[in-house]
Amino acid sequence: MPELILACGILLLVVVALFLRGKKTNLHALLTLAILTASIAYTFFSWAFYHTPVTLFGNMIHSDQFSCYFRILVDVATALTVLMAMRNKSLSEKFNSEFYTFLLGAVLGSHLLMMSTNLVMVFISLELLSISSYILAGYSFTKKGAEGSLKYFLFGSAASAIMLYGFSILFGITGTLEFTAGDFVNNLSANQSALVIVAAIMAFAGFLYKIAAAPMHIWAPDVYEGSPMPVIAFLSVVPKLAGIVVLAKMTTTFATTTVSFDWQLVMAVIAMLSIGIGNLSALWQNNAKRMMAYSSIAQSGFLLIGVVCLTSQSMQAFLFYSALYLAANYAVFISLQAFEKNSIDSIASFSGTGRSFLFLSVVLLGGLISLTGIPPTGGFTSKLFMFASLWASYEQTGKTVLLWLLIFGLLNTVVSLFYYLKIPYYAFLKSPNASLSPENTRFENFLAFILVVGILFLFIRPDFLMGWLNTINFVL
Amino acid sequence: MTHTLILSAILFATGLVTVIIKRNAIMVLIGIELMLNAANLNLIVFSRNNPSLSGQFLALFVIVVAVCEAAVGLAIVLRVYKYYQTSVPDQVHELKD
Repeated sequence: MPELILACGILLLVVVALFLRGKKTNLHALLTLAILTASIAYTFFSWAFYHTPVTLFGNMIHSDQFSCYFRILVDVATALTVLMAMRNKSLSEKFNSEFYTFLLGAVLGSHLLMMSTNLVMVFISLELLSISSYILAGYSFTKKGAEGSLKYFLFGSAASAIMLYGFSILFGITGTLEFTAGDFVNNLSANQSALVIVAAIMAFAGFLYKIAAAPMHIWAPDVYEGSPMPVIAFLSVVPKLAGIVVLAKMTTTFATTTVSFDWQLVMAVIAMLSIGIGNLSALWQNNAKRMMAYSSIAQSGFLLIGVVCLTSQSMQAFLFYSALYLAANYAVFISLQAFEKNSIDSIASFSGTGRSFLFLSVVLLGGLISLTGIPPTGGFTSKLFMFASLWASYEQTGKTVLLWLLIFGLLNTVVSLFYYLKIPYYAFLKSPNASLSPENTRFENFLAFILVVGILFLFIRPDFLMGWLNTINFVL
Repeated sequence: MTHTLILSAILFATGLVTVIIKRNAIMVLIGIELMLNAANLNLIVFSRNNPSLSGQFLALFVIVVAVCEAAVGLAIVLRVYKYYQTSVPDQVHELKD
């Protein structure tokens, strides 16, 4: 199990750190990369084995290909984070063994969260993920970083306390903590009271907080602005994917009960709010990090479309979208970090960077175009699949809210064009303010280039990934 | 059973109100602990007639997690205090739109 590799890896890191105290070394980062590679390799080679889902730890977790796919994505994202952290000029010395330990802790938490079928496991793995990320958010060691981490912590722990209260009521109603079990569904269906809805909404609050969806998104811009770039990239992908996966599982359970409450409506409204608030606020930002924070709120709205429909087609679109979101987001953050190295952080300071950093600016443009969803990038294909699945499920159910979500999403794709292309506009069409002495960014160029090539490749041959996703069995 | 549930609801409400209206980060932490304990009380009461005891197990885990959360939270508050000389989140506002 890759989780065992991760857990042993965390212990190994702690022990190795004892022997390397005070020395300047890259060994921690390399060791973390090795652990993550081992975990990816293990998941990849046991792919066929998980065709029939395996239940472990007395029905605590449920390992299937669906979660295997996301485990690979999370590990890849973390490996990219480690590479970014190694190249972060001002902070790479402060990224000591503890940084990598917490990073791996968060990965372990998200792995378990995505597999859990029991509320105990959901709570513990969510807290493992959260507590690690509270600490990671403060790793810039600045005034802003401390503030961001405090806000993240206060909002986050209040949200998880509310979530736990919701869990306790659900436990009281159903008498079981296994939310995929038949008892859970039957007992919920037998209790047609408003309490079920209140408890479920409380329980969802914790997940919505993790994925920074609309009513619970307030922390995101502040935390992103204060955190170092590798951590932002991590926070915008890993907790988000983990949160949406577990949200999909919980929603599936609630959708199968006969409680007369429209979960699809609630989820659709949350998705619409996230897309709308994220995009409209992003338009007014002057700081690249803050802009990306609002962009990630909007993107979680798009990811939630998969949870709104809950058909196997929409789940496939969701898996495809997640991979593209990861690639595009990391391409953007890797190039932003390279720019930050040259002290370019506000959007206005990107003026004329197209000349001094041609390659990097082009790569950044590729990532941003993919996030917007225009051809010739995989972002277009993924949005197309997402909207196609939404349309299919509108035709199937005839619910107008799905049509509204479709129209709203399409309109917002146009809106997002304005802020995503703001940086390239400054970079290519404005003249430079001051002469820049470019720092070496060859490694970042290379890394972001690979990601962008992947994005372009998936536009030309989406069937390459889609064919693989077709083999996944979607019993959540 | 009803009395205990009412008690836990009162605890939860007190915690939530503390989180919302108290201005000091330490008081907010206390409010969060109250909310977690309200959930614990619920879990224990509900699992009294439940042979699987899973609710009580969750409550034990929650106690452990609450300790970790408080430790990390206090460390973060301490760091903020170092930079801002205050632990009132309202007075900590470097980051804004």
